[in-house]
Amino acid sequence: MTQQEKKAAAFRQGIIVLIVLAALTAGEFFVARSLNGPVAILFIFAIFKAAPIMQYFMHISSLWSEEEGH
Amino acid sequence: MSAITTSLAEYRHQLKSNRWGLWLFFLSEAFMFGGLLTSRFYLWGDTRPPLDQNLGFIVTVVLLLSSFFMNRAETAIAHDDRKNFQLNLIITAVLGIAFLVGVVGFEWQGEVRPTDGAYGAVLYGMTGMHALHVLSGLIFIMIVFFNGRKGHYSAERHWGVEACAVWWHYVDLVWVFFYPALYLMGTVIHP
Amino acid sequence: MKTFFSLGLIRGIVSQLIVTAIGMGITVAVRVAMGLPAWKAEPAAVVGALLGAIGFMFGVGALTDWLKWMKGEETPMRHGPPKDKPAWTRYFTVDYNHKIIGVQYTVTGIALIGIAGSLAMIFRLELSAPGLQFLTADTYNTFMSAHGIVMIGGILLGVAGAMNYLVPLMIGASDMAFPRLNAFGFWVTVPAALLIVSGMVFGGWDTGWTGYPPLSARAPLGIQLFFLGVYFIGLSSILGALNLLVTVARMRAPGMTLFRMPIFVWASVATSLIALTATQLIALSFLMVLVQRLLGMGFFDPNLTPEAVAMGAPPGNPLLFQHLFWFYSHPAVYVFILPGLGIISELLPVFARKPLFGYKWIAMSSLTIALVGFLVWAHHMFTAGMEEYLRLPFSYTTLLVAVPTGVKFFSWVATLWKGRISLETPMLFVLGAISVFLIGGLTGPPNGTVTTDLQLHDTYWIVGHFHATMFGGFVFPFFAAIYYWYPKVTGRMFSETLGKLHFWLMTPSFWVMSLVQQQIGLMGMRRRIADYDPALGIQAQQVAITIAGYIIFASVLVMIYNLVYSYRHGKIAVANPWNSRSPEFQIPSPIPEHSYEQPFLVTGEPYDYGLEGSVYISIKPDIANAPVAAK
Repeated sequence: MTQQEKKAAAFRQGIIVLIVLAALTAGEFFVARSLNGPVAILFIFAIFKAAPIMQYFMHISSLWSEEEGH
Repeated sequence: MSAITTSLAEYRHQLKSNRWGLWLFFLSEAFMFGGLLTSRFYLWGDTRPPLDQNLGFIVTVVLLLSSFFMNRAETAIAHDDRKNFQLNLIITAVLGIAFLVGVVGFEWQGEVRPTDGAYGAVLYGMTGMHALHVLSGLIFIMIVFFNGRKGHYSAERHWGVEACAVWWHYVDLVWVFFYPALYLMGTVIHP
Repeated sequence: MKTFFSLGLIRGIVSQLIVTAIGMGITVAVRVAMGLPAWKAEPAAVVGALLGAIGFMFGVGALTDWLKWMKGEETPMRHGPPKDKPAWTRYFTVDYNHKIIGVQYTVTGIALIGIAGSLAMIFRLELSAPGLQFLTADTYNTFMSAHGIVMIGGILLGVAGAMNYLVPLMIGASDMAFPRLNAFGFWVTVPAALLIVSGMVFGGWDTGWTGYPPLSARAPLGIQLFFLGVYFIGLSSILGALNLLVTVARMRAPGMTLFRMPIFVWASVATSLIALTATQLIALSFLMVLVQRLLGMGFFDPNLTPEAVAMGAPPGNPLLFQHLFWFYSHPAVYVFILPGLGIISELLPVFARKPLFGYKWIAMSSLTIALVGFLVWAHHMFTAGMEEYLRLPFSYTTLLVAVPTGVKFFSWVATLWKGRISLETPMLFVLGAISVFLIGGLTGPPNGTVTTDLQLHDTYWIVGHFHATMFGGFVFPFFAAIYYWYPKVTGRMFSETLGKLHFWLMTPSFWVMSLVQQQIGLMGMRRRIADYDPALGIQAQQVAITIAGYIIFASVLVMIYNLVYSYRHGKIAVANPWNSRSPEFQIPSPIPEHSYEQPFLVTGEPYDYGLEGSVYISIKPDIANAPVAAK
């Protein structure tokens, strides 16, 4: 892959994560509206939102990955 | 940031230590935010205060979008794309300010006052503590923006940008749990 | 005089005073702008104190480098004593060397412990007879509360001092992972201590160190300064723990696998895990009371305003405070004792000339105590009116702590067994620590069992138990550590005679103090009160406790005299006065600026004392020919 393609792929990944997060946010909103605020289900939504944020936005795996650079 | 004269190997060793330090701080802060969440469930149970759910949804989307643009800014500098880096940083900051306006300017002017029993205490405690973190993130973004304009960051060395971005995402992450706890979970009682 | 005003400490204090005044002025201005009466003491004091502490950090220079980073400037690492000033000034100024910071922490810690001890001397004298002698009930309460929290602050600083000084040396790191953060962590405790002590002057507070609402919600103004002081000491504790964990994770010498680390490093890691996470909860609980007083946010207030009732809002609950508070404050005692127990395990093999019995079990027991410690907090609340179904589970988890603690005891006894024991001062204090901690340990389970605790709660029995755990788990080992590493730090030997005098004054007195406290607790003496019923018939015991307390205080003065005197007049110390295998004893005393000229290589086990041909580290390693596993 060229440098340019890598960059495009990185930007594309951000967009995909955004779409997933937006869908989950809209989903939890409507679930809460229609089911009267079920605590357990909304927590599961929150965890599923937290996971991609930590992995793709916060790069948690850079803590243990062998690659040292950015 | 201070490491411009050090060798790349040293910089990378310190970089990984820095990441560990930042994440341990997140872990520490998670206990504080967790304590606030616990207080919410301990005091509110399965009720929630009469808040505007639409407003909550809007600010959540705004913060989520800001996180997205922050990710774009970091990706840009990681590929030495300074123009996009600066642009996305500004968009992030604007959205962050919009979030603060939503919380402080609208939510805090609503029906629930800080003195309204456990509703007031926990609502203002949680949003206030979170807003302080958003504010710190905005200051951080401002610092990174001006240093970036002076050309202090490169694809190899941009720990400052990374720390700022990860910090901003962490603030978003906290809101991922605070938003449903404040606006969605439980039912409103009408006495 | 010029040198005096160039000291960071002095600049910090001056700027703290100035910024506090500015903060109060801002509060007045804001109140006028909001159309409120211009002066109200509490908001002015809180804003002033908060900004003042930040002002101290600016003034002392702990933020200078970071401010330069914000402007995009580089800041090279400073090493060595200041060029144009006497060498001693670096102890009163921001310095990045972990050894300097360790000494700063330790000396400040001893100073705070001295202040807190003096307060105890005052109210102990008051208690030696029934009725009120020379203190009012309010002063008694303030002194008793301040004794508790200043001691805790002092102990935290002592722990941080030992960890800062020793851990990088023991793992062969050149310094901590974040030296600037390290300096910040120390210096933020100074304004914090000033806030707490000034809280005694500005109204005092009468809640005990626990600061329970609703009492703390209506205590005098001093409690706000107390809250803020604890907040900053907590910040220091969190940052120090973070720094230490990263240091141990990332900067160990080649060959130092996890199970070849000195046992004190393990204890420090366990301690830091607690300090890193749980500390946030005491900070949060105190912050909640602070804003409840300041802004009327009723977290812990069971009363509702009419508007809140109309909204259907639930009331606040004081029990929530106790849950949040004890989630830190129980593990906090493990923050105090785990490093102490680590020091006991560290020193025993040196003076018994035998391998440490069950190294891995000791290492793991520290971690286990730390982790189980997170699950025991509600045993402080058996009588508080919390949900009854919580009592039994918390009783069981509490008793579970005795298991890893027992592991340590058995290891110590087994290490001593058939050892060639030599009784120098550090070893005497280690043995004293074991004896005292045994008292504290054995009196613990009755408090963890619900049925007995319902009787024992809030009696002097608890005071006796708690002081035995603190002395056995922290004070004795800390003194042992001071004597043991004193030659390493200063390059001089202390006076062995005075050291032994210190020990023989302190240890029997402590036994008397603790056991008699427990006895009068069983006879009905309540804790935390200025007066007691003469009909209890315990005045003789009260006098005995007071006398024992004074002897302990005097013995500590002997130690301080010894340390100060020997700093100038002691014999020159050799590199390894105790014949230790630990890495820091293989380099000259006092330790040079950069500790090790080059990283050492770990090739064996740390505690194989008395084993033929065993080697722990080689200080001038032949890296090229080292075994692959050791790299």
